[in-house]
Amino acid sequence: MAEATTTDSAHANDAHQHSTKSYFVVWIILLACTVLTVLTGRTDLSHLFPSANIVLALTIAVIKASLVVWYFMHMREAAGTNRIVFVTSFVFLLVMIFGVFGDLWTRSPMTLPYHTPTTEGPEIMVPEGGHHAPAHHE
Amino acid sequence: MSSSDGHAHSSRHPHLAEHFETIQQQDYAARLGMWLFLGTEVLLFAGLFLGYTVYRHFYHATWHACSQALNVWMGMGNTLVLISSSLTVALALWAVRVGKKNLAIGMLVFTIICAIGFLCIKYLEYKHKFELGELPGKWFRAEELMQYPAANMYFTIYFLTTGLHAFHVIVAMSVLIWVMKGIIKGRYTPDYFVPVELGALYWHLVDLVWIFLFPLLYLI
Repeated sequence: MAEATTTDSAHANDAHQHSTKSYFVVWIILLACTVLTVLTGRTDLSHLFPSANIVLALTIAVIKASLVVWYFMHMREAAGTNRIVFVTSFVFLLVMIFGVFGDLWTRSPMTLPYHTPTTEGPEIMVPEGGHHAPAHHE
Repeated sequence: MSSSDGHAHSSRHPHLAEHFETIQQQDYAARLGMWLFLGTEVLLFAGLFLGYTVYRHFYHATWHACSQALNVWMGMGNTLVLISSSLTVALALWAVRVGKKNLAIGMLVFTIICAIGFLCIKYLEYKHKFELGELPGKWFRAEELMQYPAANMYFTIYFLTTGLHAFHVIVAMSVLIWVMKGIIKGRYTPDYFVPVELGALYWHLVDLVWIFLFPLLYLI
């Protein structure tokens, strides 16, 4: 039994010996991504397409997060169930965010809080001198 | 406790709890439990990210102006601190697994210093916000942002998200100090390192949340 334990841990050690190099590579990529996101983050990229800034920033963030989960958090050697658990929580995150987006994108302008009827919406009806029917004052 | 008494339980791992058959089963259960917990943590922050998204949609110009008011260099500094500490905590776990005790302790000390450094930078940022009056709700009194509707709401979300994150930094740091004590006492070895692994996972989660908070709050 003692023999088996030694081989097991020796095996685990072998598997881990070469992965320190990948940690440093991942670290360098993460640093580079951070510099890239700072450089592009405050530059106006909307001439490419309207939400270019947020799309680029979130793409870089997703790449960074995937590297952390896959290499630093050892998702690449994790058991299948653990992967399912983590991926499921992300799926529900997306369901939640896109469910709410479904509401936001299809709203009537009147229901948005920044909406000011005097500039964009239908004319506001201002009661004048106690009159309750403000239409046709001319 | 010696394990060489030659009985049926002679091969029983010293850290194996009674209700598990094998150490592999125990490790599997511990890892699954940790990933479930991390899943709930993701969803805890998800609520706040959702609030951010909705208000950003409602007050786009405000969000843009307020994010420009944050100090991007402090945010970037904190990102670099967290990314580097994520590397060192991963190296600490590796060191425990290959039996390099002193290296593991050194890496954890560096990680804990990074955590304290993160909190110091955060403190300076908060202090500056308090001086300028860039505060949530009715405490908001920043003159140059007054013209933007719901600018106080931006700072409500800023303080909620970064505050909850800073709280996680403190908890994760405490966990790492506890793990480091165990390594110093020789409790965690290449044969038994799961608590170190779970502590490292929690630290990575703190990094993970910040990876999304930083661009959303400081850059766009």
